[in-house]
Amino acid sequence: MTIQNKHYFSAFKLLCIGTALAAVIGLIVIFTGMLLYPSLDDLISCLLSEELRFAITLSIVTALISTFLCAIVAIPSAYSMTRFDFFGKEAANILLNLPLSLPPLVAGIALLIFFSPVLSPVGGLLAAMGINVVYTTTAIVIAQFFVNTPYMIRSLRSSFAMVNPRYEHTARTLGCSEWNTFVQVTLPMAKSGLIAGIVITWSKAMGEFGAVLMFAGAIAMKTETLPMALFINMTTGDIEKSVAAAIILLIISAVVLVAVEHWGKETGVEYV
Amino acid sequence: MSEMTDTAETDKTNKPVETKEITKAVETENADRDISGNCLTIENFSITLGDFKAENLNLKIGAGEYCIIIGPTGAGKTILLESIAGIHRLKSGKIYLHGRDITDIPPEHRGIGIVYQDYMLFPHMTIGDNIAFGLKHRGVSREERERQTAEIAGKLGIGHLLGRYPQTLSGGEKQRAAIARAIILKPKVLLLDEPLSALDNTTRENLRRELKKLHSEMNTTIIHITHHFEDIYSLADRVVVMREGSIIQCGSVEEIVRKPDTRFIADFTGMENIYAGICTPLSNGTCEIDINGLKLYAVSERRGDVNVGIRPEELIISKEKLASSARNSVCGEVIKITDNGIFSKIAVAEEKSGVIFTAALTKQGIESMNVSTGDKVYLTFKATAVHVF
Repeated sequence: MTIQNKHYFSAFKLLCIGTALAAVIGLIVIFTGMLLYPSLDDLISCLLSEELRFAITLSIVTALISTFLCAIVAIPSAYSMTRFDFFGKEAANILLNLPLSLPPLVAGIALLIFFSPVLSPVGGLLAAMGINVVYTTTAIVIAQFFVNTPYMIRSLRSSFAMVNPRYEHTARTLGCSEWNTFVQVTLPMAKSGLIAGIVITWSKAMGEFGAVLMFAGAIAMKTETLPMALFINMTTGDIEKSVAAAIILLIISAVVLVAVEHWGKETGVEYV
Repeated sequence: MSEMTDTAETDKTNKPVETKEITKAVETENADRDISGNCLTIENFSITLGDFKAENLNLKIGAGEYCIIIGPTGAGKTILLESIAGIHRLKSGKIYLHGRDITDIPPEHRGIGIVYQDYMLFPHMTIGDNIAFGLKHRGVSREERERQTAEIAGKLGIGHLLGRYPQTLSGGEKQRAAIARAIILKPKVLLLDEPLSALDNTTRENLRRELKKLHSEMNTTIIHITHHFEDIYSLADRVVVMREGSIIQCGSVEEIVRKPDTRFIADFTGMENIYAGICTPLSNGTCEIDINGLKLYAVSERRGDVNVGIRPEELIISKEKLASSARNSVCGEVIKITDNGIFSKIAVAEEKSGVIFTAALTKQGIESMNVSTGDKVYLTFKATAVHVF
């Protein structure tokens, strides 16, 4: 008596696959419901409204700046975490994982207190110099940067870890300095992972809500990024505009997903 | 060129005794190509890397020498090699290259090349760009780079692959490219970390020949880590045996193969007949060794518990008892014949003690002798073939 693995009936297998399919269908139904809620005319007029155009521009610009700043900090940090041993490395590793479980709201209130002209000496000093960041567009950038840098370090760390250090050793023996080795060997070899990490960080910055809400506030036409536009219009009952903002965020996520999938695959194949 | 070969030869027979003064004198004459004496001197080398530790390791390698390092995994072979290249910082100790202290010199200024088992060709560059990589960093002009790349690639038989990317090459082609990339800079020392281990037998054979040729043409000092016994026989001028961060034996191929210091080396070098016995000295430097009741004669002054090793090719196998001057003759039954393609191994159990000897014979030898399992045979070998350690 032989058991033919492929053909016998398995209730367990059916249940697992069924659950997975149900989850996917639920996702599609719910998002389609949102997409179909506004009429096309309403949607277009919302998208063209001054408020949403402002929110789109503000989101893109702040996310680009904060992602750039993240990369400046994350690239050397991630590299040192993969290649070098230094005092406090273990502690740094644990701290970098903290934001994964910590709500961004908490980061937001910490930033608020740190930069507050009233509550902290640093904020007071800045205020004395005529600089106030709380509830400004600068605060948006700082909040996005603060929340996303640990994520980016984690993501880049794994890209660097995929580059065998012997490539670097070989480059050095061929007369290449440490700097040049990093720029000409390590970075190009970690390129796919780096791009994926940067794109994900940018999309996370576009959608950052909690920390931005606490630190930059939800001020219409001032600190109104796309998630803020969604929130403000919801509270004032302008559901069409909220949905329009939501749809833009959804499209960005989808594009990023496809891009990361594409680069992610390349990483697997190219450097075997 | 011939002068250099002579030096290497001398080094092989008389252990290189070299003083820094001589090295320096030569250095002033001919800064880069010190042809007499030590190329590389490692003094009191100590390093700690993660769990690995090496203490006070000393090694001298003569100019133009082909030095092979063997040892079990975790012995620190690669770490030693990478430290010579300048990748790891030493805890203490010094490394001299042609008499010059290079301990604190970064790898890019040492003039030492390295080739790894996994090729380490940069995947985002063509083979041509990979090979020319070092020249580019030396500021060599584009035409000159192309000329030299083509020349060296032609020499290694990969001239037609310069425009291709590493991912599309076979293992042997990749390793040729990696070797070309290292030797195009004419390194003072070329470090090879198991360069042939990832290759199939035929390719390994070919590339081994190629390495031999390159070594004699370029006269570069080569330090080569291997797990393959054949590499020692066909390439090495000198063999260094490492274990747990220290050098346990260093000598010519002949010394290592015939007089292994420890059981590990004996096993590694293919000395198959290894037994524990009790040694009793006789007159005139010979001794009698009792192995499980079987008496063998050897040349040694040791007394008490010893290990004994006999290389399979030292055993002469015959169906009739040989009339020979060889001291040792044992009789036994063939219990197994194994064929590894090139030669066959015959296991013989001695009739009284049951001690099993393994002898090596060519296929033709077995056929002409017409020996098969169950036959009674005689094994004859000299007292000098019995190595006591």
